[in-house]
Amino acid sequence: MFRRYLIKRILNGIFIYVVLIFLYSLLFNTTNEKTMKDQIEESIRVEASKLKNFTSDQVQKHILERRAFKYRIYHLDRPFFERVIWRTIDTLVFRFGNSTNILSARGDREVLRIVLEVMPRTILLFTTGILFEVGLGIWLGLKMAQKAGGPLDRTTSVMTMIVEGMPTWWLGMLMIMLFAYLVPIFPSGGMHRLPPPHGVLRIVDLLYHMALPLITLVFINTWAVAFLTRNIVLGILQEDYIMAARARGLPERRVLFGHTMRTAAPPITTIALLSLLASVFGNIVFEGIYSWPGMGNLYWVAVQRNDLPVLMGLLSVTTGLYVAGLVALDLIYGLLDPRIKVGGRA
Amino acid sequence: MGATKAMTDTVVDVENLSLHYFTSKGAVRAVDGVSFSLARGETLGVVGESGCGKTTMGLALLNIPSPPGRIVGGRILIAGTDIVPMSEKEIRQTVRWQKISMVFQGAMNCLTPVFTVGQQMRETIQTHKPMPRAQAEAVIARYLGLVGLPAEVARRYPHELSGGMKQRVVIATALFLEPRVVILDEPTTALDVIVQAQIINVIKTLKREMDLSLIFITHDLATEAEVADRILVMYAGKVAEIAANEQVFDRQPCHPYTKRLLAATPRLHEKVSELAFIPGTPPDLLDPPAGCRFHPRCPEAFDRCAREEPPLVEIEPGHLAACWRCINA
Amino acid sequence: MRGENLSYWLKDFWSEFRKNTSGLVGLAFLGLFAAAAIFEPLLIPFAETNRKWRDITYWDDNPKSAPPAWTNWFASRKSAVSTVLRASETTEERSDGVRLVRHSFAYAFSYDRPPLDIIVHFKGSGNIPLIVGVQRPDGAELELFREQATVNDGEDVRIPLGKAAKSAVFDFAKGYEPEEATADIDIGQIRSVNVLFARAQEGMLARPEPLRGRYTFTLTVMLLDEASRIDEPRVVISGGVSGILGTDNSKRDLWSGMIAGVKWALLIGLLTAFVAVALGVVYGIVSAYFGGWVDAVMQRVFEIFVNMPLLPILIVMSAVFRPSIWFMILMMSAFFWVGPVKTVRAIALQIKEETYIEASRALGAGSARIIFRHMVPLLVPYSFASMALYVPGAVVYEATVSLLGLGDARIVTWGQLLRDALGGGAVLNGLWWWVVPPGISIALMGMTFAFIGFAMDKILHPKLRTR
Repeated sequence: MFRRYLIKRILNGIFIYVVLIFLYSLLFNTTNEKTMKDQIEESIRVEASKLKNFTSDQVQKHILERRAFKYRIYHLDRPFFERVIWRTIDTLVFRFGNSTNILSARGDREVLRIVLEVMPRTILLFTTGILFEVGLGIWLGLKMAQKAGGPLDRTTSVMTMIVEGMPTWWLGMLMIMLFAYLVPIFPSGGMHRLPPPHGVLRIVDLLYHMALPLITLVFINTWAVAFLTRNIVLGILQEDYIMAARARGLPERRVLFGHTMRTAAPPITTIALLSLLASVFGNIVFEGIYSWPGMGNLYWVAVQRNDLPVLMGLLSVTTGLYVAGLVALDLIYGLLDPRIKVGGRA
Repeated sequence: MGATKAMTDTVVDVENLSLHYFTSKGAVRAVDGVSFSLARGETLGVVGESGCGKTTMGLALLNIPSPPGRIVGGRILIAGTDIVPMSEKEIRQTVRWQKISMVFQGAMNCLTPVFTVGQQMRETIQTHKPMPRAQAEAVIARYLGLVGLPAEVARRYPHELSGGMKQRVVIATALFLEPRVVILDEPTTALDVIVQAQIINVIKTLKREMDLSLIFITHDLATEAEVADRILVMYAGKVAEIAANEQVFDRQPCHPYTKRLLAATPRLHEKVSELAFIPGTPPDLLDPPAGCRFHPRCPEAFDRCAREEPPLVEIEPGHLAACWRCINA
Repeated sequence: MRGENLSYWLKDFWSEFRKNTSGLVGLAFLGLFAAAAIFEPLLIPFAETNRKWRDITYWDDNPKSAPPAWTNWFASRKSAVSTVLRASETTEERSDGVRLVRHSFAYAFSYDRPPLDIIVHFKGSGNIPLIVGVQRPDGAELELFREQATVNDGEDVRIPLGKAAKSAVFDFAKGYEPEEATADIDIGQIRSVNVLFARAQEGMLARPEPLRGRYTFTLTVMLLDEASRIDEPRVVISGGVSGILGTDNSKRDLWSGMIAGVKWALLIGLLTAFVAVALGVVYGIVSAYFGGWVDAVMQRVFEIFVNMPLLPILIVMSAVFRPSIWFMILMMSAFFWVGPVKTVRAIALQIKEETYIEASRALGAGSARIIFRHMVPLLVPYSFASMALYVPGAVVYEATVSLLGLGDARIVTWGQLLRDALGGGAVLNGLWWWVVPPGISIALMGMTFAFIGFAMDKILHPKLRTR
């Protein structure tokens, strides 16, 4: 039963991903092709400059042939819709092409490699952040729900609203100003000291560099998770089955943690992770403030250097991660909520 | 206020119980000075319109905290012990579920959706009487059998069961600690007629076999007629009338409200020319009317009714009413 | 909800809303923002901020990266406050058809640090010989600068004394310095304004000590004929501190920039939220109302939108298409609309089952009529509450896109201020007056609408109330 749900959901996710890539290819076709053509011209010119013992007419002819050839293999000579489909296919198999001017660590220009290089760093930072945010948030939210209307509840609700409209990257700017310049306890950016140390010190150095961005992230996002937890828990506490559990003589601790939290787990987990997922992709530029060399930072660099192939590749990978994240969330929800895991009959 | 000890053994004795809900707008007097007693082996049927306080009273008998409600006065004697002054911990460990339990509208929402039925039943047993898992499961199987369900139901989640099955589970859960008193709050209301009949039968059988005393709360007079030995009619948080089953259904009740309730219930074997109903709406319990609470809607009210609240008085042996007309008669 | 019903409902709603402190706080802030936007021309000292934000010449007289004027309160050594002096006295002499006009500008200097520059301005036309002079508190009178200016019609003449008066000041100082000292000094290195405001004593070139008191600057011009004229003479004191919020490294007054940004923030936020919610509500209702395959298809489309990571798409689209602000609003609305759909659809499904809908249909009402007359009004309260909650998002997204440099360069938004701050090294140099105000404003605007939105939500969803 659950396996069927799982397969259906994954297939749905893949389908959506394909549609999105198609839409991107459609939308950005003109720009992409211009970049492609520029790159083709560049490579042809480089080739032509290496030709020896050719007359200028022969060189011209060669160039025309090469151009026609390249256009053919990249399907640039086909009608519009076909071209879009070919671009879609290319993107789907991760053939992102080459960048205009950004280089990977190894020095080549393959967009896929460039993007893959930076991805793990983003995952490291944001996943750690999410762990803290969910942990702290749920704990705080539970406390808020237990004494609903009390001082803790009210102050945290206010904090949530204050932070709601605050751009994470701006807080990052403030934090750097405060803690990297005014009171210099933390480094102002980057992931490692240069040159990076070895062994255990390397990990310590990493943590040291991760501290300030992490604190910023966690500060912004924890309140929302707490608020959400509080609301869901409060809602469940009013349900009849909670009263029935108390009526059956169960100790309050058990009612709260066993029954309430367990029922709250599916919606809390999914909505919390959902909003955190959204915040990751909404805050990706936050990395740039800290020069944390992840995907967000790459967006910055690509925009600055106007490197469209890299932007496209980034967008595809980001979308893929996002869609995968949503699918994963649905599956987690299904696992946690027996109404889905086992399916209904009544 | 006199509680008639018609039979020899009283298991529940309620004296002048009041429970108010303290809201931002003021105190809602949901249960206001209610007194009655339940004898051993008896089924007391509690009837009234929605919002008259019957569920609140049921919850009060287990002293379940339901903020912002609070018991503000009176005594509740369960097997001779007053539970009102007891601490929450004490009630939970000695009274609740062991001496008195409650059956809610199980068909609706009274089992936690994320645990299996068996897990929840086992949890209840082991909280009150720690025992190894196998033993608990045996108990569960036995009681499921008593309510007519196969033992494997324990492995199911609540959403997998039909309304009737869930109701039986809830009944079984209320019984396996073998309490003296069971309160049933609208146990059949959300079920269809055929399943209703089945559940009533199960309840009757169990009552006989386990020598239970029941408080059966419902707004459905027809069901009461079938199960109750005595009827307690509640109106606006107060007791209007307490009488034997035959008194109400075969002979004639006294309180005008009870009479109107009966009149509003269509009978299968009578010609119905016009559907009777009770005009007006139940009073606002934040600010109830002075005097008798029913007087604004009562066809037989006279001036004393608007001034003075009638006390609950035994007008015949075993028949109590809170009405000036009945008291004077 | 007809007229009278509506006003009754509004009164009821208001009495509930009034009890909510945070909602009222939000409303108060909203009022402040609205007032700032409406009264913008009155509030900003630099009237052409909006048009000339990117025009460096407009800001030339301001000091660069100067803290706000009020920081002087906390400073141990107080800097001169930037200000504009108007002529306190004007005399005119005539002789032979030639007018000798003399404008005097009084300046009370009471600070520890002299101004960074003094710039004399006037608009004029004709061939105009002019002399700029000053009378110091210690009685010394100097001629700072003289020139034969040729001014075209109404052109603005700008004389920065820091450069123009160098030699005059040097000569003055030489009178107080010993021979040997002055021989080594390179005239190009002198900070003439510092010396101008220094005590006349030995060492005034190398270590000037401020001379406090009243300085009177004079601008004397000779108008040779009737056609020559000078108008709007003024002396700009470019001080160490400037304005309510200081200046950035392009000398732009940040208070003006901030106020100019208010209207855009409000516009972007409200317009995006409105369009998005309107779209979303109609979408949800239509989807619920028609049901069947229409619903199924619409839900699929909805799903596709939900799976799009909004900011990356916005960034890439902005990078590729470089849209104007209106297009950006449109783009954001095109993604935000998915927000309300789920809830609206659920509510609409419930409404659909109501008997009066069936009755309407039985009476022959068309779908459009039913949707707009019966269903939409019921969802209006909920829509309003949601709208408020989308505003912060829209403002932050625009700010983020602007931060990357992809915003609409023709307008001034807080996001752009922050971009300039980041690029201008404000973070690394501690120019807090550049970094904090725009960000706080974004946060405040978000907070305002969050307060309002949550207050409304609380009223319309009583289940979340704490009893």
